Amino acid sequence: MSFAAQAWAARPERSNTFFLRIIVWVALHLGRTAARVLLHPISCYFLLFSTASRRASGAWLEQVLGRHPTWVDRYRHYFTFAATILDRVFLLNDRFELFQLELHGTDAMREVHAGRTGCFLLGAHFGSFEVTRAVGRMQPGLEVSLLMYEANAARIGAIIRTINPALGTKVIGLGAVDSMLRVRACLDAGEFVGMLADRRLGDEESTPVTFLGKRANLPAGPFRLACLLRRPVVLMFGIYRGGNRYEVHYERIAVDGDAARLAARYAERLEHHARSAPYNWFNFHDFWE
Amino acid sequence: MSTATALTDHETQLAALIIEALNLEMTPQEIDPGAPLYREGLGLDSIDILEIALVISKTYGVQLKADDADNVRIFGSLRSLNEHLQQHRSK
Repeated sequence: MSFAAQAWAARPERSNTFFLRIIVWVALHLGRTAARVLLHPISCYFLLFSTASRRASGAWLEQVLGRHPTWVDRYRHYFTFAATILDRVFLLNDRFELFQLELHGTDAMREVHAGRTGCFLLGAHFGSFEVTRAVGRMQPGLEVSLLMYEANAARIGAIIRTINPALGTKVIGLGAVDSMLRVRACLDAGEFVGMLADRRLGDEESTPVTFLGKRANLPAGPFRLACLLRRPVVLMFGIYRGGNRYEVHYERIAVDGDAARLAARYAERLEHHARSAPYNWFNFHDFWE
Repeated sequence: MSTATALTDHETQLAALIIEALNLEMTPQEIDPGAPLYREGLGLDSIDILEIALVISKTYGVQLKADDADNVRIFGSLRSLNEHLQQHRSK
């Protein structure tokens, strides 16, 4: 099982694939320390040349820090992003021993898993997904499927296979008439279904929430789906804290059938963690309207 | 919209069920029985399809499954969905 696919899919791709391949190669052949040195020129390159994401990064930092971001802030944001990408390579290879993990909420996860009811895992373009796989390691037999567009899945699958050919990624493709029937079938089998709930794709239906004091539009689908199927919902955040330290949070939130309320709770917890780790925000597009 | 062909009684019942489940602002007669339900046509998304599957299982006792290779055809139109239900209904 892996959240990897989703995380790779989350990225503003295009030319990044080139750098991704460089990072992967260096990481696999020279190790983490050497690869981290390379992250500096790569971060500089993106900071200088990726106009659209630099603007989005700046807007985010200004909003969350409450002041105009300096170049040091901006650089730190890019470097944090690059560092978590690099670490994915190791996490995908199950090199968990390289990292210091601080896990929160694992009891809630165990409880949900033991209930065999299936569960929705909601993540965001925030921090690291691979590190949240730690939960799969503690619970043998836990199956996780990711809900995502299959076009992304194919491209991402190719990259993941170069890192760890043994890693199977189960994907439920969006965009088919029976996509959601498949989601239900997975849940009925006691599996977990993971989705990113913070970014709308195209003209997808939206649900408004308040985020950092401003109105933002979340995709309505994930919340509608969770309410309709009435399964436990667990939020997961893998936060990079510098060096080799990560903090993983699993938080079960109440589902009462009201999708707007569920979205508001999600937004509230995301805001809480995003404030505590602002440089882990990897939503490199304008989050607000 | 294409000129709607007249609905049979069963089709009307099914259309009314779908309209109620999804809170659509239309009448059964406004649904073209030959038009696709998903996306173009009635404009439903896959979560709407799931909602329909849930009410159908309650009302008709028919389980619409994920692994049915015929799903695209079954959900192809109100007419084809109704035919499928009439063949398999237990209620």
